[in-house]
Amino acid sequence: MRDCKLIRESLSGWLDGQLSTSDAEIIRLHLESCAPCDGERHQLEKLQSSLESLLVSNVPRIAFEPFWAGVRERITKKRSWHEEVMEWARSTFAAPGLAWTVPAIIVVLLGVFALDSFWKLGSQRNNFAAVESIDAHGRNVALLREDETKTTVIWLYQNQEGEDESSGENTETSPSF
Amino acid sequence: MESSDWELVQRCQAGEIGAFQELVLRYHQKIYVVIVGLLRNREDALEVAQETFFRAYRKIKSFQGGSSFYTWLYRIAVNMAIDAQRRQKRNPLDFRETMDGLFEEQNEVARDPFSDVHDRELREKLVASINDLTPEHKAVIILRTVEGLSYKDIGEILGCSEGTVMSRLHYARKKLQEKLSAFL
Amino acid sequence: MSLLGRILKRALLFSCLICLAAAYSVNAAENNSQTVRVKIGTILANNQSDEIDPKLNTIKNQLKVMKYRSYRLLKEETQNVAWQGNAIFEIPGGRSLTVTPQEFRNKQLALKVRLQHGDKPVVDTTVRLNNGGNFLLGGPPHEGGALVLSISATAQ
Repeated sequence: MRDCKLIRESLSGWLDGQLSTSDAEIIRLHLESCAPCDGERHQLEKLQSSLESLLVSNVPRIAFEPFWAGVRERITKKRSWHEEVMEWARSTFAAPGLAWTVPAIIVVLLGVFALDSFWKLGSQRNNFAAVESIDAHGRNVALLREDETKTTVIWLYQNQEGEDESSGENTETSPSF
Repeated sequence: MESSDWELVQRCQAGEIGAFQELVLRYHQKIYVVIVGLLRNREDALEVAQETFFRAYRKIKSFQGGSSFYTWLYRIAVNMAIDAQRRQKRNPLDFRETMDGLFEEQNEVARDPFSDVHDRELREKLVASINDLTPEHKAVIILRTVEGLSYKDIGEILGCSEGTVMSRLHYARKKLQEKLSAFL
Repeated sequence: MSLLGRILKRALLFSCLICLAAAYSVNAAENNSQTVRVKIGTILANNQSDEIDPKLNTIKNQLKVMKYRSYRLLKEETQNVAWQGNAIFEIPGGRSLTVTPQEFRNKQLALKVRLQHGDKPVVDTTVRLNNGGNFLLGGPPHEGGALVLSISATAQ
């Protein structure tokens, strides 16, 4: 079944004579032994015949002289600066390649920003940490967050009643945050 | 001895408008047929075809000969036709009427292969189904059916790989088959 | 690409997917037996000078919030510890810090941290932080200033 799917996907190329000799042979052999795929081939041939009748046989010939006159008139006509700019803009921004270029640039820029924020040195990264629980055993404690890197700081104040762990140590007042 | 396309291009790049006229003579009918297949209207197709050659003249100095002249020209034509198609605001039914007018105008009735009712219905359905394709899928159908271009040339014209051309053709034909299954 | 090439390409892609799935499941199983690398930086913060130890360049911005004028790295120590195991670090002034990695979920590690002075607990906290990230625990007085501990953990 999987082969039939691949064969049918390649039928267009086979009918148009665009496949390599070896691939064409694979398909020819398959069509000889697979009625459904051969039926598909017949349908495609009928479709192609109808398309050719519609699109090729019935288009009129156009006279060259009037056609060339129209082209020449365009070539010799002086265009205003406004028309020049519009034509440039239309050709630049309507180009098929640009349709992929613009989103590709956006994706690349987003990637650069994302990578940049991911790879910034420790102090620049988002260093967010969540304090799930804290027991300072009777001491005052402050939870701070440094703005730039979002680093969490747990600050323990000395016990004001003097029962602090550091009795005897010469301490300065706590810094203001 | 007839000059090659590249010789004419080089003469044109040197400022010889007669060389460009020769190129227009060679390709104007082919370009017109492709564009009329993509657009719905003969007048629009004529206009776009003339614009195509005008644009080609303006850009001729940038043509380096990396691809063949005709694939380069077709690329301009297809892009302009697709742009024009997107700007069109006509009702899809107009396409059928325009194409009918096209046939009658040329007195092709006697040679019209769609003379009986069944064939006429097939033609109408085919026209409507082609219209429902995206511009890119319509382009591959037209270029392959009308011009018989190779996948390589079509890929160069549309700026995609041969594999993409085959895949688009497969998709477009499959869509047309589905819509025309009662007739095929 | 030829038809044969496309058939081969699909078969190869399918095989790669199978291998990736197998590798992922093996990797998932390995996660349960990983250790955690815990690193503690012991920093003395005071206002006795205006210098910041160059060794602290990577966390200089983090220290700004405390508004001391001088920071000096006293020592740095790293230990590898199993999940639920205790990594014990000696901290100046007769103190010790015990770090116990709890779990690793959504790229974050949960750590249980206890600072004690001798046998007396000073603070017990559970912190969830980014893998490889750090937080600061500061305040214990020391040598005219205060100690700041930079605690970081990376799942191995």
